[in-house]
Amino acid sequence: MKKLTKKKKHDIWMGYLFTSPWILGFLFFIVFPLVTSLYLSFTRYDILSAPRWIGLQNWVRMFTQDPRFWNATKATFKYVIFEVPLRLLFAFIVALIFSQRESKILNLYRAIYYIPSLIGGSVAIAVVWRQIWGYPDGIVNAILSILGLRGINWLGDTRTAIWTLILLAVWQFGSPMLIFLAALKQVPTELYEAATIDGANFWGRLFKITIPMVTPVILFNLINQMIHAFMAFTQSYIITQGGPLDSTLFYAVYMYRKAFNDFEMGYASALAWFMLALVGIFTVIIFKTSNRWVYYEAEEGV
Amino acid sequence: MKKYFKLVVLMLILVSFILAISPAQQQITLRIIWWGSQDRHNRTLKVIDLFQKKYPNIKIVSEYTGWSEYYTKLTTMAAGGNLPDIMQQDHAYIRGWVEKGLLLPLDDLVAQGVINLKDVSKSIVDSGRLGGKLYAINLGNNSQAFAIDPELFRKAGVPLPPTLWTWDDFKRIARIIHRKLGIYGAAENLGDHNVFRVWTIENGGYLFSEDGKSLGYEDDNVYASFYKMLLELQDEGVIPSRDVEVARGSVSPEQRFLCLGKAAMQFTWSNQLTAMSTALKGKPLKLYMLPTLNGKVGNFLKPSMFFAINAKTKYPKEAAMFINFFINDIEAAKILMAERGVPVSKRVQLALKPLLTPVEKEMFNFIATVEKYGAPTPPPDPERWQEIYNNVYTPLYDQIMYKKITPEEAAKKFREQVTQILRK
Repeated sequence: MKKLTKKKKHDIWMGYLFTSPWILGFLFFIVFPLVTSLYLSFTRYDILSAPRWIGLQNWVRMFTQDPRFWNATKATFKYVIFEVPLRLLFAFIVALIFSQRESKILNLYRAIYYIPSLIGGSVAIAVVWRQIWGYPDGIVNAILSILGLRGINWLGDTRTAIWTLILLAVWQFGSPMLIFLAALKQVPTELYEAATIDGANFWGRLFKITIPMVTPVILFNLINQMIHAFMAFTQSYIITQGGPLDSTLFYAVYMYRKAFNDFEMGYASALAWFMLALVGIFTVIIFKTSNRWVYYEAEEGV
Repeated sequence: MKKYFKLVVLMLILVSFILAISPAQQQITLRIIWWGSQDRHNRTLKVIDLFQKKYPNIKIVSEYTGWSEYYTKLTTMAAGGNLPDIMQQDHAYIRGWVEKGLLLPLDDLVAQGVINLKDVSKSIVDSGRLGGKLYAINLGNNSQAFAIDPELFRKAGVPLPPTLWTWDDFKRIARIIHRKLGIYGAAENLGDHNVFRVWTIENGGYLFSEDGKSLGYEDDNVYASFYKMLLELQDEGVIPSRDVEVARGSVSPEQRFLCLGKAAMQFTWSNQLTAMSTALKGKPLKLYMLPTLNGKVGNFLKPSMFFAINAKTKYPKEAAMFINFFINDIEAAKILMAERGVPVSKRVQLALKPLLTPVEKEMFNFIATVEKYGAPTPPPDPERWQEIYNNVYTPLYDQIMYKKITPEEAAKKFREQVTQILRK
């Protein structure tokens, strides 16, 4: 290799110097905690006394002796499987409506529709949600009783509780909606014009042009929202507190409780790493299948 | 002459400097932390003000939260090495904190007279003793209770029960009230572990054995019979069904069904009577011991909470002075009243007697009743109690009441899982 000139060397050092805020932050706040938690997952650690190495015990316990771990995994899967597609569908439909026309008033609506995403994850909304689905005198049950129907204990029934949380999450469709909207506007109008001349109706244009053209963005939103959904916490923690019978015990909530209520930091670290692996596997699966359904314009080509 | 004048001025300035930095004037800052309701925060802050006025060289910085996140916060502080000097501590946790060497033994400070416990009975002092050493000062006495609304009893035409009532009396009364008034006979959380603890004592055992290594009762029927009773009452609609309780989540004393006029009896801690009565606009409520079983009383006095001192505090003496002030000063007691339970000092109790509101009087009398009839305080919980409560006790309670499991099956599982955790 050629020897670097003095000037080059200097440039390299300057480069490191200027990126050092990021590098240091990355090392201290990401790499260090990551490595520590991996180490802790092989220990018993109650915060107050020093961690004690116990090998694979946490992992064995997780898979063989902890029924609540499976409850939490099941509840989280159910949530992810229903929440993510519903939210994306909803976001897409609303974005589609907005993309049809351009006007000042639509900008206002767009802002209004984004508000739930800003406040929806907050504790205040969670508390309001409790009131809405309350039993026997929540708003929903009040409406049911006006209609002469019997009230349902939405939050207390294992069949309905998780759906109230899914609904709350679907309502916060703002950010995927904005991303969809941007993508929809990128679709070249010539394509639509050509299709219209050929006699394609709205549905034909939607399924043959719009959706294929935005599949890259669908992929992006899908992965983003899936990771988010796996990490959902506030809704379960505040609204249902994991109940009834662990039917809404989200994985993140169970992990938090193990760490900060039972003070089993080692076990909680193992739980965290399992979650990371799960999310990783699902992301890889989605990516692997993506070349079958995601259409990149540049690939076909000239 | 002028020269001398200058010299004198210089001397004066020097002297004033020396005075300013002399130890008598040195500012000391103590940190204190507690959990509680807004009412407790207000009262405690007022007492802290009073203390600071009396000892102007001591400044106290307060931190306070609700109960649910308290130990999370405290443990994180301990891990970070920045525990406050004075901490409110709970009976169920104290063993673990002592074993980890986080609390200062207070025997020397008591011997030196910094903390005066002359007016506190020995059994109350000893509730803060572990392994022969005193680690925590009891702040008030508490006991399990049923708060009842006499007005609703009258409306239903039920006479008030005798002091030593039985579970059969309880069920009968609850049913009559439910039938006649269409409300719950007794309100939520009857399956609270504190009720179950009393039940185990009435059955001749404890929840946990003396050494904290196993359950404290032999016969699984103790567990099963308790939940059979609850299931029976739930099915009749006499108590709220568990799914209603679960959906409501944890509620503060003011939001309980009794305070909403939807129930006539409510399981509670005696010191919460003030809050409940306030929520009912001062309506006079009465406190009863939990019902007896085969003539046996299971109610016991429990230290409501403690103050303890950080083992690494820089100012053990000043921290102890504050605790002493808190439990012995009459002016402070007049602010605190019985919010943390009936005060431990006999002298303070006497001084407060003429000032008590009817609600507080009821509470004082109730504690006296428990002192007279009650069972001895059970041994402290095993260190892993919290884990048992979160992962075994509550889930099984829910499963029984949701009818996913029979009380007999749950009794067996409870024993298996608790033993497994305690052996770790």
